[in-house]
Amino acid sequence: MLIHTDLLRRMLEVCLSNWAFCHLGPQLISHLCKTGAAVLKAMGRIGNETVKGSLNERPEGPELAAEPWPENAALYQQLKEEQILLSDNASSLAVQAFLQMCNLPVRVICRANAEYMSPSGKVPFIHVGNQVVSELGPIVQFVKAKGHSLSDGLDEVQKAEMKAYMELVNNMLLTAELYLQWCDDVTVEEITHPRYGSPYPWPLNRILSYQKQWEIRRKMKAIGWAGKTLEQVLEDVDQCCHALSQRLGTQPYFFNKHPTELDALVFGHLFTILTTQLITDELSEKVKNYSNLTAFCRRIEQQYFEGHEKDSATIAARSSKRPLLR
Amino acid sequence: MAAPMELSCWEGGWGLPSLHPESLTVMAYAKFSGAPVTVNSVNNSWRTLKGDLPVLVSEDIVISQPAKILNFLRKQKYNADYDLSAKQGADTLAYIALLEEKLLPALLHTFWIEAENYCSVTKPWFASRFAFPLSLYLPGKMSREALNRILLTKGGPPLYSLTEVEAQIYRDAKECLNLLSKRLGTSQFFFGNMPTTLDAFVFGFLAPIYKVCFPRVHLQEHLKQLPNLCRFCDDILTRYFRLTVSSHSPAGQDTADANLQKLTQLVNKESNLIEKMDDNLRKSPQHPPRKLTTLKLAAGGEESSPTSRLSP
Repeated sequence: MLIHTDLLRRMLEVCLSNWAFCHLGPQLISHLCKTGAAVLKAMGRIGNETVKGSLNERPEGPELAAEPWPENAALYQQLKEEQILLSDNASSLAVQAFLQMCNLPVRVICRANAEYMSPSGKVPFIHVGNQVVSELGPIVQFVKAKGHSLSDGLDEVQKAEMKAYMELVNNMLLTAELYLQWCDDVTVEEITHPRYGSPYPWPLNRILSYQKQWEIRRKMKAIGWAGKTLEQVLEDVDQCCHALSQRLGTQPYFFNKHPTELDALVFGHLFTILTTQLITDELSEKVKNYSNLTAFCRRIEQQYFEGHEKDSATIAARSSKRPLLR
Repeated sequence: MAAPMELSCWEGGWGLPSLHPESLTVMAYAKFSGAPVTVNSVNNSWRTLKGDLPVLVSEDIVISQPAKILNFLRKQKYNADYDLSAKQGADTLAYIALLEEKLLPALLHTFWIEAENYCSVTKPWFASRFAFPLSLYLPGKMSREALNRILLTKGGPPLYSLTEVEAQIYRDAKECLNLLSKRLGTSQFFFGNMPTTLDAFVFGFLAPIYKVCFPRVHLQEHLKQLPNLCRFCDDILTRYFRLTVSSHSPAGQDTADANLQKLTQLVNKESNLIEKMDDNLRKSPQHPPRKLTTLKLAAGGEESSPTSRLSP
């Protein structure tokens, strides 16, 4: 039922190589061997760079708190210029913002197979000491176990609200981004398929992106989004932004004085939507309607990312000729 | 606004007007906002095959999802959120997202996937509500859809087996219930004294967990440890649903009950009469039957006919 990507790739590689030897000319065989080699190299990287033993471990309290945050903590994501997609970039930026807010240094490393290295199949993931943790939720808990937390000052009702708003962003904004990337035919053909498989040679790039598209479409069907049109999805995005804008009001952050993980998550998604150039501008127009949200993004960018010129500049460059927020 | 609106949804049981969370949500919202909606329990129309319930039909317009139905009712000026501030409206949306992400998977699991619950409660109940061929096919289909949904949304690595996914979703659901309880606190509804959309959604999700008697009930037990949520469900049931059950409920049910009661009373009286007659006859057979009219029993005119029939 749950097909594991690396297993599928191995199967494909075996089938391709057998078929090639039986039926095809030498040029095609060598091309396919290159494909197979690329696959093997990618799998080899998986073996080298992750620490297998710690993949399924959950951080334990006392032994974790004992270790301070190391200097060489690394965050892995896909290649910024050519490969990364809207939703993954948003998630990655959210984690980077969160770690900046906690004052924890982290290097951003781009790898083509980051998705396959991750313990949960989703980017970004961080490699700290000998622990590997992926996605914002577990990363927040991991950082909390290390003794850093942004939401300690909130009371119970505020914590409930924060969790509810984070679910709102995940439920509506992230799903809308996934819908736009994988279920809108124009975007899929012109942006997603070329970008997603770009590090790999043909036919692996097409196979991987079709497989991912099939997976995402199945998920959309299960949650009832498959029947929605693009206009309805944009309507939902508008509703979500309206709600966020109302909640933010005129405050600097969602919970007044200090930023929390909710601010990081919202910043990640909204900034990415605002600075990514898609086929049409409709998605970013929906966000631009709310001036306090754009001001919020600008404020966080200036406060937490200006110092790292490299990061913000590459964010701008990846967004293909669109300047930073003015 | 004066157009009659008809809502088709699943039937109810165990003291609830419906067992389906979305149907309950829409019914609760209709009650809160005072919309004149007649509720129609559907059991064998083709709509159940598509799984599209609840459905609102108003003149020629057919609307099918809860969010759209609520929007339609609001446009018809039946708005339960009238007094809410903008921030509270935003909170509503956020909490609804929380319910759908954290509580709904556990609800689906308790009803449709947990083997004991499904085989002993859910499947017989749903199967008994459908006509013959649908009753074999539809519960299985709904169960497969629920499993699919849970596995696709929650079942990715590092959770590789169904038991790990189950553990995770029940943990999430318990956390969600705790958060709701903290948010409700001691107030009567989530935003003060008047119920709103959020109350309708929370009621729709909580009431089935609270009321339906399942063999495997750890979520229900957890809910029962949160007294303010239980009080919330009971309040809404007594204030908004008992009233309509007595006034214009599915009329057939009530009159049938009333008729049954009257019939039982009649039969009892008849048998008492017959016993007394037997005694009298044994004691003094020459006594005229007229004497039976002296036997005054509680009710009124029904007596005259049995006695007149018995008199030779």
